[in-house]
Amino acid sequence: MNGLDLWDLRQKLDEANILICFNGPLSQSIIEQLGVAVKRYLEAETHNVGRLYDVFAVYIEQSQNIQNYTAGKAASASASPAELQRYDSATIAIGRLDDDHYLVTSGNPMAKSDLPPLTALLDSLAKLDADGLKACYREQRRRPREDGSPGAGLGLIDMARKSSRPLEYRVRDIDADTAYFHLTAVI
Amino acid sequence: MQYYEQAATVSTPWVRLDPERGLLELVGESYPANSFEFYRPIVQWLGDFLQSNRAAVRMELELSYVNTGSIKSMLDLFDLLEEAHQEGRSVQVVWKYDSRNPRALETAEEFSDEISFSFEVLDTHMS
Repeated sequence: MNGLDLWDLRQKLDEANILICFNGPLSQSIIEQLGVAVKRYLEAETHNVGRLYDVFAVYIEQSQNIQNYTAGKAASASASPAELQRYDSATIAIGRLDDDHYLVTSGNPMAKSDLPPLTALLDSLAKLDADGLKACYREQRRRPREDGSPGAGLGLIDMARKSSRPLEYRVRDIDADTAYFHLTAVI
Repeated sequence: MQYYEQAATVSTPWVRLDPERGLLELVGESYPANSFEFYRPIVQWLGDFLQSNRAAVRMELELSYVNTGSIKSMLDLFDLLEEAHQEGRSVQVVWKYDSRNPRALETAEEFSDEISFSFEVLDTHMS
């Protein structure tokens, strides 16, 4: 068969217990509509409203982090149209890991030069317990905004606080300057 | 001072700013694409209100979800209110939440840690 075998893709998503998956350029309306779908699904499945909002919150923070990153790239004068197109893409999936845990995972192309502060923050968050994360959160939320944007820091700390284990990430090479950054939260 | 009201959207709360009653209300969920832009006129309004008179001020919040960007902007509102309270004004915040959603209560507690004025938490869930 030429092109994409959707059945094959569907099987893969089913095997991984993915409820909802999106791939392509993100927009606020896509984030909202997927979020509404996630919430409806979880409402039908769980009576644990706290858990529902944790999954929803992690999904919102992950997708808005990517959206903010793309917007930041678009706002920088040095970026060429080809570069912008490369960054304007995200993969987001929400699923079940097992009977007790949900999974929110997302990936997006990033400039390799933007990765070190991000991975350093994630590595440091992974070492903190709940109290440490709380202290870190309180400190970060009082930090001034950069260019009107809250930055990814607070969102990552919030995700870490809502997750039942440390956030995991993987970095894959795309080309000399670009990598695919893949972040996973288990809730 | 202008009366101001704005309908809710999927990602932004219903907003009412009533200078007659010294009342600021937000109801819904808050995760706009640009939270700073969304909250800027609200923060501005509150700042202007506090400048223009010495009347009591009350903020009523019923927010089931607040993203981290919005949290930062809401802290700006709380800071203005704290300052007004320190200057002797009557300041009151009421946080309404559904007790089936413990996260909404935690959000409230993390705000109340930051302030010294009256902060009332009301459970709206009728069991």
